[in-house]
Amino acid sequence: MVPDFLTIAEAGALIGRRELSPVELTESRVARIERLDGQLHSFIRVLREPALAAARAAEAEIMAGNYRGPLHGIPIGLKDIYETAGVPTTGHSKILIDHVPQQDATSVRLLTDAGAIVLGKLATHEFALGGPSFDLPWPPARNPWNTSRFTGGSSSGTGAAVAAGLVLGGTGSDTGGSIRGPAAFCGLAGLKPSYGRISRVGILPLAFSLDHAGPMAWTAEDCAIMLQAMAGHDPADPASADRPVPDYRAALSGDIKGLRIGLIRHFYENDNPADEATRQGITAAVNVFEGLGCSVRELRLSPLAEWAACGVMIMLSEAYAIHQATLRERFGDYGELFRDRMALAALVSGGDYVQAVRRRRELAAEFGTAMADLDLAITAAAPGEAPAIDAVGKFVTFERPMLTMPFNVTGTPAMSVCCGYSAAGLPLAFQLAGKPFDELTVLRAAHAYEKATSWRSVRPHLDL
Amino acid sequence: MRQPEHWGDGIVKTQGMTRAEVEAALARAGLEVPERERAEIAAAAHFIEEMARRVRGKRAMGAEPAHIFPPPGA
Repeated sequence: MVPDFLTIAEAGALIGRRELSPVELTESRVARIERLDGQLHSFIRVLREPALAAARAAEAEIMAGNYRGPLHGIPIGLKDIYETAGVPTTGHSKILIDHVPQQDATSVRLLTDAGAIVLGKLATHEFALGGPSFDLPWPPARNPWNTSRFTGGSSSGTGAAVAAGLVLGGTGSDTGGSIRGPAAFCGLAGLKPSYGRISRVGILPLAFSLDHAGPMAWTAEDCAIMLQAMAGHDPADPASADRPVPDYRAALSGDIKGLRIGLIRHFYENDNPADEATRQGITAAVNVFEGLGCSVRELRLSPLAEWAACGVMIMLSEAYAIHQATLRERFGDYGELFRDRMALAALVSGGDYVQAVRRRRELAAEFGTAMADLDLAITAAAPGEAPAIDAVGKFVTFERPMLTMPFNVTGTPAMSVCCGYSAAGLPLAFQLAGKPFDELTVLRAAHAYEKATSWRSVRPHLDL
Repeated sequence: MRQPEHWGDGIVKTQGMTRAEVEAALARAGLEVPERERAEIAAAAHFIEEMARRVRGKRAMGAEPAHIFPPPGA
């Protein structure tokens, strides 16, 4: 019998030793989806037969001695903004309900080339912005830790599906925090790599200059495995970076002695105050890092609202440009949250968009200078546990400055790491941020922290 | 301007655009926004003004020429 919960690393090792069948693993996830997803709504579309066919092919390949690596035979899910050949890719929206791409997104092709099994398309906030919405063709995903709570967004289905063990990993996208937010609320590891590290070709855009693709999984090690497959230069993406891709997993030794970490305390104590449990979790995490031989000192940056204003103005302007024509023609076919956020974007002037882009360069330079003698920064990923799903306001993005947005503005890698659970049993998280293209150090530190603590042994109780 | 105490140096609520200014902007954009939603958008318009104020700053004319065009093949 296949366990309810397995990491990619665990399942990959079993499959590699031929102790676990990809077919049995995939069948067990299908059964779990059928049992649980009626209340979690993490899937828009389950690709049962294609996934089982791919699992059978993987099994035959492995039995023939052609094992591709740790993703071979692993069921994953794709946020439904990742295009899939012959399979609808909707952005969770009525607008694209009949959109059937001709090709896979580059990152999807890379994942399947590595042997991953695509089990289905996952819920998202509409076009990675409008949610949680109750007026779209599919309901919003629910948090497996408590289905009355918000998953975070916009990679909401990926957060829910991975946390519930319906898939072992999944893809997200992050324009202002859409990987790290749901990772924080659903208790996952979620990595937003550097801008340009993963191709965005074939991924529905939200804001061209801020969009990042990335992995979401239970552990940092699993994110490393997925990133290994997804990363690399793609000439078809003008933002894609032609940089070497290191062996991420091989670097996860647990030894992080000597790393220098800056603690951005004012972000979560003053600028967007986190609750007491989150603050205590971060304080305890700092102690863990110091115990592992890292040095931690205070790091002060411009107020969080400066970063949020810069990022949100760019995000709104670029998203509005993408949807402008369709908004004019089909305003009522969008969900209310997306269309009204876009209507606010119509109030942004062209001049102010350019000012925001100029401000971005100033802030990115500030971060680069601040990190000159540091390897990592640590701050909160969210101000607390997941709120009630029906308590998330239409303009919540603007009401409090997002803790995740600074690292979209800088384009540098950042990761959400679970650091415990609230009194209500909901996940809490901090954020690790690194230097440009240094995902390796972010993953090393997150992995070492996970190994030094017991949080990864706690899974949600799913008595649905 | 009012600044909520518990938000530190966070969101500052400005006067905001007038309802008429918001209506004019939405009309210019060609968006057919239902009446109830127009009122909510107008009430939230101050967020845009606050963010715009933050990104404008004071710069020399030539400072931070962030908008560049890398010619293909350059």
